[in-house]
Amino acid sequence: MTTPSIAPDRTDLPDVDEFQRTDRPWQVVVWNDPVNLMSYVVWVFRKLFGHSEDEATRLMLQVHHEGRAIVATGPLEKAELDCHRLHHHGLWATLEKT
Amino acid sequence: MFRWDDDQMLVTLSRQERDVLSILPGLLDGVEDGEDAAARLDYGAHPDDPDADAAFRNLVSDDLGVARRRDRATFAETVEAAEISEEAAEAWMRVVGEARLVLAARAGIEEDEWEASLDPSDPGLALLGYLGAVQDQLVQALSARL
Repeated sequence: MTTPSIAPDRTDLPDVDEFQRTDRPWQVVVWNDPVNLMSYVVWVFRKLFGHSEDEATRLMLQVHHEGRAIVATGPLEKAELDCHRLHHHGLWATLEKT
Repeated sequence: MFRWDDDQMLVTLSRQERDVLSILPGLLDGVEDGEDAAARLDYGAHPDDPDADAAFRNLVSDDLGVARRRDRATFAETVEAAEISEEAAEAWMRVVGEARLVLAARAGIEEDEWEASLDPSDPGLALLGYLGAVQDQLVQALSARL
């Protein structure tokens, strides 16, 4: 058994939107650059994320034509590791909340 | 240029090609703070949140530096080799790619379709093009192992 940790008369409860915002996963965004080869970007997506060739190609073309694509989603620690691995491969990647 | 013999990648390059490739670690080590090429290789993760970005950089910047130095050392140690491991081939891929980013930054390349608008006789651009061919050949070979 446990007891509620918040007194019944407490009025500063986080609203649902705030809770969901802080609890949402992060997405790893790769941005277009004019130098990295398309074939190389496909290989990086397959190598780092295990995407099929078709899915990696779809994401690469989305980066190329739309300027960005979400390549992975997860908790902050994992998203930052993914971002770091993309940086190690010379891809321009950032994080944002879903 | 690159093909597999069991678990080793056979590297077929001319003397001139190996001489050109051997300059890459020095080219990358020579990138100085403040130049555009350094900015291209300086990554953050949270562009809209300076505190989170500083925390990210603090967390990973040492690891990124170590990983880059390890890649360059592997490349320098194997640039004359007739065969290299898959791990070394991936290091080659990253070193060649990083060198392309540096050369492109120094040439002021910022937009797609840059190939048609620049002077093909420029030595830096000639090297950029050659390294693109090398990287593409590495991609083809390494993709067979995925």
